[in-house]
Amino acid sequence: MVKRKLGALEKVEADLPNLQHKIRRDPKSYVEDFRAQHFQYESHREIFMAAPSSATDTGIISLRDLIDFIAHVAECYPEIVKEFPQQLIDMLTQHHLVLESELREKIVGSLMLLRKKDLLDSATLLQTLFPILISTPSKTLRALLFQKILSDLRSSNSKATNHKLNRTMQTVLFNLVTSDRTSSKGLWAVKLTRELWKRQIWTEAKAVEVMKEASLSENEKVIVGGVRFFLGGDQERQDAEDESSDEEAIDVARIRHVVGINKKTKKKSRAVEKALATVKRKERKKHNPAPLNFSALHLLHDPQGFADALFSKHLQSSKSKLNLEQKLLVLQLVSRLVGLHKLHIMSLYSYFQKYLTPRQPSVTSFLASLAQASHDLVPPDVLEPLVQKIANEFVSEASAAEVASAGLNAIREICVRQPLAMNETLLQDLVMYKKSKDKGVMMAAKGLLSLYRDVGAEMLKRRDRGKEASMGLRSGEQKAKRFGEQEAGEIEGLELLEKWKEEERRKRRLEKGLASDAEDDEEEDEEADWNAWNVEDDEDSDDSGGWIDVQSEGEIELSDSEDEGGKPPAKKAKQGDSDEKQQQGDEEEDAQAQEKKLSTLATTRILTPADLAKLAELRAEASVNALLPGSKTRRTAQSNSARHIDDPLTAAEIEGLASLSAGKATREERIAHAKEGKLDRSDHKSTTARRKLKKESEGKSTTNKEKARRKNFLMTLGKAKSKGKRSLVETRAVLKAHQERQKRGGKRGNKG
Amino acid sequence: MSKISVAGVRENVQQLLDYSLNEKKRNFLETVELQIGLKNYDPQRDKRFSGTIRLPTVPRPNMSICILGDQHDLDRAKHHGIDAMSADDLKKLNKNKKLIKKLARKYDAFLASDGLIKQIPRLLGPGLSKAGKFPTPVSHNEDMANKVNEVKSTIKFQLKKVLCLGVAVGNVGMTQEELVANIMLAINYLVSLLKKGWQNVGSLVIKATMSPPKRLY
Repeated sequence: MVKRKLGALEKVEADLPNLQHKIRRDPKSYVEDFRAQHFQYESHREIFMAAPSSATDTGIISLRDLIDFIAHVAECYPEIVKEFPQQLIDMLTQHHLVLESELREKIVGSLMLLRKKDLLDSATLLQTLFPILISTPSKTLRALLFQKILSDLRSSNSKATNHKLNRTMQTVLFNLVTSDRTSSKGLWAVKLTRELWKRQIWTEAKAVEVMKEASLSENEKVIVGGVRFFLGGDQERQDAEDESSDEEAIDVARIRHVVGINKKTKKKSRAVEKALATVKRKERKKHNPAPLNFSALHLLHDPQGFADALFSKHLQSSKSKLNLEQKLLVLQLVSRLVGLHKLHIMSLYSYFQKYLTPRQPSVTSFLASLAQASHDLVPPDVLEPLVQKIANEFVSEASAAEVASAGLNAIREICVRQPLAMNETLLQDLVMYKKSKDKGVMMAAKGLLSLYRDVGAEMLKRRDRGKEASMGLRSGEQKAKRFGEQEAGEIEGLELLEKWKEEERRKRRLEKGLASDAEDDEEEDEEADWNAWNVEDDEDSDDSGGWIDVQSEGEIELSDSEDEGGKPPAKKAKQGDSDEKQQQGDEEEDAQAQEKKLSTLATTRILTPADLAKLAELRAEASVNALLPGSKTRRTAQSNSARHIDDPLTAAEIEGLASLSAGKATREERIAHAKEGKLDRSDHKSTTARRKLKKESEGKSTTNKEKARRKNFLMTLGKAKSKGKRSLVETRAVLKAHQERQKRGGKRGNKG
Repeated sequence: MSKISVAGVRENVQQLLDYSLNEKKRNFLETVELQIGLKNYDPQRDKRFSGTIRLPTVPRPNMSICILGDQHDLDRAKHHGIDAMSADDLKKLNKNKKLIKKLARKYDAFLASDGLIKQIPRLLGPGLSKAGKFPTPVSHNEDMANKVNEVKSTIKFQLKKVLCLGVAVGNVGMTQEELVANIMLAINYLVSLLKKGWQNVGSLVIKATMSPPKRLY
């Protein structure tokens, strides 16, 4: 068989791509040819290895081609090429400095190819490439290697997480960062980790540990890389995810609409089907369990130690070489850690002291960091001098409006987190700025006022307290939180739910003609109750629909637990009791009785999804009612509840409405502002004409009316003439046809 | 498993108590724990939840408590037979990390008088809050026994680095009714904390210290 082809082969021999193609189709018959080429490669390689720097051009080119060829067909002859990957690795590691660039690239590419064909394992490949990446002086090679390493890590983690590989790689990176803290090589570890974190390939604590070590290094670039990762890495990851998810958003309604209008063809209907399938697939993907994304700040092993080390190493020590911008970044990270994990770094607050003057560059960032670093376990006596200083330095009649509003905003942000940091006289002084002429200052002062109406109304002057706060104070409902106090949680709005259920029950009983407060036949009642729930729930939340059917059993059986008696004692007795002492006899008893009744709901039944939905509804209703005048219920504090606890406080928030406090614009500014909208005033034209031109230039279509108006007169002439000459019968036919057509919905017709 | 019923909970509690009291009685008071597995929960997008709630019955009566207080509170603590330390005792620790850690490990919870609590971070550093045992304030006009009881019966749900958490909700010395009430309240509170309610709950398991686990949901 081989002999028969020999003649043809002679020609082909030099033509490696052709041979490659043939080998792919029939590896067995071309073994000998491959052997010959492999032999040639071996000899070339030996020549090269003997004297890598003095290799001739032709030798290098043929070596390159041979490497390429062998790598491409290697999977057909695994026995022959057993040594091949190792040879390439040796060539690259020993001589990457002197290798000709194209050959170098080819070797890297071939290694990747061998990796893809599974002739080489990931660990070896990465162990080869990574040391070269951090040591080579060539920029192009670095870029190439970085990209290849990244893609290899991605592909080996694509189907399932390759824990072993990740662990070894992370250890390598960790060692790289920790071994030599002064060198900038750690930057590669930072870059790689950040990229893999962003793509959600590495999401575990070990990767965070690498970054932690990076932020504690001694090289500025590495430090900044690490710190930036903690400040923005998670945001980046989220953005990347969002981007990929709405890459090709398909508007189903639009597609359906288009199909309704245009001519129906098979091709189009196929396209529609395809689009619908994609949408469905995406929906299914969306309902899949969310990935386990803890943010990097939460995955830190020892936040206290890390924050301490960062602070003492980069901020406090006089040896630190960071400039102001870098220091601010570190400070931001430290303060976020402190605020998030409620850490105690006492010297941090005194560190702020010297930076809190309006002349300090980027002082708003310092203010934001300070506010971020305060939390409810910071002793108030540490924060008080700082608040006082901000008030003295920033907030005065003499200071500029922007400065005053920034100061007030900063004070408010601190006091949101630790209300005890404020004293009475200062607060009353600051609140007076609500009368300020400047809008920014006025708003900031009002923000402070409304905050203290919620958290410490007794510190305000009587007339500033407002109706709700003073009523809350009088009834004892509203009390200032003590230091270190943890609010005991409760199921919010449970009493509303209980009341609502009670009412429903009473109504139903009235319908049946029973006494309104009879306690019997609860069981039946509960059942009816349950049915009502079910119906209601099906309307509003269809995704939990399947869930509820199963529940019914439990709901019904609940009732017997109530019959059995032996109710557990009332839960939150204490807090409620102390509140009620101030009220008088009858009322107190009533309230207590009510409290006892309420507590049974949570301890004897399980809240179903429907219950929870109703609970949320009632809660929302109550909060709306509280805002209406004349209602007695207390308003719930919600100033900052919308913000996610992980979100940072930015300098922009401290600056707040400073733009409002900027003085009146000068005449030139106003003229410039007015001119902005009117750029093309060269010729005189009506507004309509201008709009039309704009529309045309944007490539938007014209209306039918416009088309008719623009139509060449001569083309319309014939129709116009004949129209006049029509007989009555003809006119009638035309009109009738027109009517019919309208009914069908135009010439193309949607129906029939 | 896709349902939870009061009867089911009751039955499981019954079995659990039966096992721990009759079948294999241990030489100590076993604690009953509620273990929760969450699902469909994205810790980065959904607000991380943490919450405390007071249970009707004290779940761990043997909890050791220490009072850090001024003279008045020290006397009261002595009267009730509770361990107590004064500010001077704390100063003696000299901010020594090991000693503070030891102190934190020795007690399950701390109470501190109003005057002293503000100095705690200064005196002890981050040790106590690191252990999650920052003291609860107690003022002179509060009944100390009552306060201690309140601290003992308060449980805390807090999500750490994994999507499962466990809390002590009772012990095997409690009656079935009490235990069921504690468990139900804990479950209801937990579910009300979650953004998507029951859709976020993967599993609920109760287990006494040395009993086999009983799956509720």
